[in-house]
Amino acid sequence: MSQVNIICVGCPLGCAATLAIGDDGKLAAITGCKCKAGQKYVVKEYKNPVRVLTGTIVTQDSARPLLPVRTAAPIPKAKLLPGMKVLAKTRIKPPVMIGDVIISNLLGTRVSVVATSDLLA
Amino acid sequence: MSLKNVDVAVIGSGPAGMAAAIKAKETGAENVVIMERAEQLGGLLHQCIHNGFGLLYFKEDLTGPEYAHRFIEKLMDSGVKPLLETMAIGISPDREIIAVSSREGYITFRPKSIVLAMGCRERTRGALNIPGTRPAGIFTAGTAQRLVNIDGFIPGKKVVILGSGDIGMIMARRLTLEGAKVEGVVEILPYVGGLIRNQVQCLHDFNIPLLLECTVTQIHGEERVEAVTIAMVDTKRKLIAGTEKQIECDTLLLSVGLIPENELSQMAGVKLDPITGGPIVNEIRQTSVPGIFAGGNVVHVHDLVDNVSWESEIAGQSAAELIHGRRKSWERGITLKPGRNIKYIVPHTISGKREVTLYMRVNEPEEDVRLKVGTIVTKALRAVKPAEMLKLELSSAQLSKLGEGTTEIVIDCEKRGGR
Repeated sequence: MSQVNIICVGCPLGCAATLAIGDDGKLAAITGCKCKAGQKYVVKEYKNPVRVLTGTIVTQDSARPLLPVRTAAPIPKAKLLPGMKVLAKTRIKPPVMIGDVIISNLLGTRVSVVATSDLLA
Repeated sequence: MSLKNVDVAVIGSGPAGMAAAIKAKETGAENVVIMERAEQLGGLLHQCIHNGFGLLYFKEDLTGPEYAHRFIEKLMDSGVKPLLETMAIGISPDREIIAVSSREGYITFRPKSIVLAMGCRERTRGALNIPGTRPAGIFTAGTAQRLVNIDGFIPGKKVVILGSGDIGMIMARRLTLEGAKVEGVVEILPYVGGLIRNQVQCLHDFNIPLLLECTVTQIHGEERVEAVTIAMVDTKRKLIAGTEKQIECDTLLLSVGLIPENELSQMAGVKLDPITGGPIVNEIRQTSVPGIFAGGNVVHVHDLVDNVSWESEIAGQSAAELIHGRRKSWERGITLKPGRNIKYIVPHTISGKREVTLYMRVNEPEEDVRLKVGTIVTKALRAVKPAEMLKLELSSAQLSKLGEGTTEIVIDCEKRGGR
């Protein structure tokens, strides 16, 4: 048996949930959640925690040094730091329109990195 | 020098100003101008490149620049006139605005009504009186955010953040993602200052230590920050001797609160609430000066931009309705008085005749409580925290239960089930 602690972000209560994990790796019990929605969240957060990655891309030939970007959908949490390395290597030239794909299929996630702002020269 | 007569002048083009200007136009004001001192509309949203904006207003998870973009598009289509690189430097009590612009020089505006939407400003080291030297490497979290996200500079490699407000935690994540080492977020209170979501996704996700009931007592370094001393505090926020610890770092970020920016409001004679730091407003967001309205962080510091937009729409609508004579300049109202564990309530007064949304903050975190609005409404809540603004809608039916001649309602946050 092992234990995993997850704080629920569903409401200001911020329940500190404890997940008991059996030796077979399966979820055995959840304690500490005060509602059903919270239980659902912590299970999801345990099995597959995902986050939207936001960052910037260095521009070329633009008055603005950076273009803000995001992943179009959440990606696995473990890919956040490796994803930043990909953003750091990328360069972009104007014109870019908001929503344009800057990097497709980031690290095999099938999620694109898109511009969150226009970029003009 | 030029003189311009307009219907509605909005000062500031952040989320508050844009929402107010669009709404004023939609409500029927013809000549609406929005003044922005920067070179683009959107205010601080451009440097808030993280997501979490618009979950309530658009029912979508947007970044700051995306949230701004939606409003900018709408504003450009609406016929509101944007005045960029134009800074209001004075307002007189009779609603004359003096502004300077790089293109037009000195301009005087005579609007029929004004919406104040200047937002807020960060508290600095000066507000805290941290002893020590004055080396380079001390930034407010918002300044660091601009450097990293707009200008492309990383302020330092080993960072300590004082204050666990939302911007501080968001910068802890941003700097970690950009390769800096965040040694810790230091918070004087026994609980985190920002939203739970940020505590989890900014600190826990990256194993950044949160040091509660601690503060920075000394800054070291001559040319550049070399270290800070932190120490624990007791329940009265007094330092506990012997708990001092030195943390090596090259950068100290301050995320120690925001103050509504009301220099212009005060020039116009607008009365401020010492608790919120913003104008005292009635339910239509009119200030104590007839024809001057206010919305967003200039009134009280919000935690979600969605509420900034909604609140400012009320101000914009009222500003337009006043011109058409559909509203009296100031309705004598019912004063809302903060009771047990309520820090403040906005609006400060209501008419009691129309449905209204109240925004409130508590002083202390509590669980299992009940909000009591005089004798007309009670609402049970599982938990309240100073960092999470409370929103309560009062319907006309509920308000009709108010006794004739009511002049004051006390709002309490009571303990539930307790004896």
